[in-house]
Amino acid sequence: MVVGDYLLAGLVAMLTGLDRVALVQIMISRPLVAAPLTGWVLGSPLVGLEVGMLLELLWLGRLPVGAAIPPDDTQVAVGATVMAISVGHMLNLSGMPMVILSVLIAIPLGKFGQVFDRLARHANDRLAVSGQNALLAGDTNGLERYHLFGLVSFALASLATAVVIVLVGSFVLYSVTPLLIGTLREAGLSLQYSLILVGAASLLGTINVNRSLSLFCAAFTGTMLVLWMR
Amino acid sequence: MKEIRLSWLTFLRMYLRSFLLQASWNFENLQNLGFFYLMLPGLRDIYGDEIPADVCQRHGTYFNTHPYFAPLVAGTTLRLESLSIAGAESAVDAETYKKMVMAPLAAMGDALFWGGVRPLAALVGLLIASQGSLWAPLVFLVLFNLPHLLFRGTGLILGYVQELRAIETIQKWHLPDLAIRLKESTTVLIGVLCAYLSFKGCEHQDLSAVWGFVLLPIVLLFAWLAHKGVTSLFLVLLTTGSLLLLALLF
Amino acid sequence: MSIVLTRIDSRLVHGQVLEAWVPYVNADCIVVANDEVAGASFQRMVMQAAVPSSIKLIIGTLEETANILSSADLLKKRVLLLFTCSKDALKACELGVSYAKLNLGNMHSSAGKDRYTCTIALDQHDIETLQQIEDQGVTVVSQCVPADWEQSWRKLIRSGGR
Repeated sequence: MVVGDYLLAGLVAMLTGLDRVALVQIMISRPLVAAPLTGWVLGSPLVGLEVGMLLELLWLGRLPVGAAIPPDDTQVAVGATVMAISVGHMLNLSGMPMVILSVLIAIPLGKFGQVFDRLARHANDRLAVSGQNALLAGDTNGLERYHLFGLVSFALASLATAVVIVLVGSFVLYSVTPLLIGTLREAGLSLQYSLILVGAASLLGTINVNRSLSLFCAAFTGTMLVLWMR
Repeated sequence: MKEIRLSWLTFLRMYLRSFLLQASWNFENLQNLGFFYLMLPGLRDIYGDEIPADVCQRHGTYFNTHPYFAPLVAGTTLRLESLSIAGAESAVDAETYKKMVMAPLAAMGDALFWGGVRPLAALVGLLIASQGSLWAPLVFLVLFNLPHLLFRGTGLILGYVQELRAIETIQKWHLPDLAIRLKESTTVLIGVLCAYLSFKGCEHQDLSAVWGFVLLPIVLLFAWLAHKGVTSLFLVLLTTGSLLLLALLF
Repeated sequence: MSIVLTRIDSRLVHGQVLEAWVPYVNADCIVVANDEVAGASFQRMVMQAAVPSSIKLIIGTLEETANILSSADLLKKRVLLLFTCSKDALKACELGVSYAKLNLGNMHSSAGKDRYTCTIALDQHDIETLQQIEDQGVTVVSQCVPADWEQSWRKLIRSGGR
């Protein structure tokens, strides 16, 4: 990967990060979109798709409601994709084990996202005061300026999260891959499926429906039977 | 006095501005600046460039609702403003209206879009992605954003045209019940996805598909743990740890 | 009847309550105890519109709700009880509503209040009221959504506001 690639990935990190709260919210921030997008600008969209599949469901049940800040799954997706591709190039490795390892390392690092997100929102507290003062002075243009300036803090928070995940994550990934890659090849596919199943289970556990259990079991059994009979 | 009507250009401006509602989201007043920013084109139409201090005062304070419902609130708020300067009586004034509707509408939006539409669209996307197709993200985006973008626009117009009665219209749509239907569909798709993955897993390990059923109680156990507040991070580590251990042992 | 969650939330019926707490505590009835909302018909309509038909919503003054809660009407219901402020929570206690734990969710900041967490702002009066509630044997905790850690309010106060 060349410097230009990292710059592009940084741009994607900021755009998808802004989509989480501050701007537009058309859900390019979901891992299922953000990761393939990152992969696409780096030339390997399918790696991104695999990352996105592993991450999409894990925090889908965590709603961005009120002041509660959910883990930053967007930057985990972007970061894991960058790591899987760049460290993969360095070690001349590719495929599912690399993807799984990147995702597993990026997930805990996603905690940094909550820290940076909180910082950005506190930075905006000050903007809000300035904006409100401008408004009370009748300066509506000033209000517009301060309001839009908030985008900068959110973009920087997302970029900072992605940078931390990629820097720390790549280092860890580079060190542990030679040790774990053999074991991961063994467990590879079942681990991939299991992680998606974990996501499905956590979404199922947090979904707000009375009949979720019976509906789920019926759908599971029905599908199993259909696939089996075929 | 005759009531001032807003032009279609103003509506277009406000529609576009609604995408920037949360640009300065902050802990102190949440979307306060954003909501004023969103209404500004309409307020300028009503009051001219010099917006009276009392209007700035009452619409620059604490505000928070679901971002996709904000255009609806803005529409009604503006209509109530222009009605009040035209001297028309209204059961609820603009400021009170805003305060009363923001939290319940936020709940409706959370249930419908975050709890209903988004997981359903994501599940459809994932089922496509499990075939290795890059159409998955696109299908997800289209499925989610059709209702999303439509709702923002409809809300703005509906809120303006019907003012307070817009809430009655919304009530007739039974959105919270619709949200439950969507969640039930999501649950079914989760079942389909889990079964598909279990089946594929068995196939890969050369096991009979009957073994796939063993995964059902395990998924249910995990779902119960998640329901009890166990974090996804922990569940991921647990799964990875046990699978790696199994791989090492056998 | 059992009260499965008692919460102070200045926003009353909103996403955190309906989407996070209702499924978590498995509530099928929400009681909003607030004197002002009880008299505002428009606001009642908006709240009703936000709650799915599978969940019963009761809105009333503190006294009305205290009576309903002690009657046999809600015998088989799992109730989620909402107040807007500490004062109301205490008054409900005094009116005979018994709850074991009080959850502090959103207590919105206003002039003269210090912020203790992102969502909780208290003044001296709030602290005294919460103290009185605790003296009645109620555990007072802060927890915004089920996924957050539950924290004793004492710890919160000790860490100081700003």
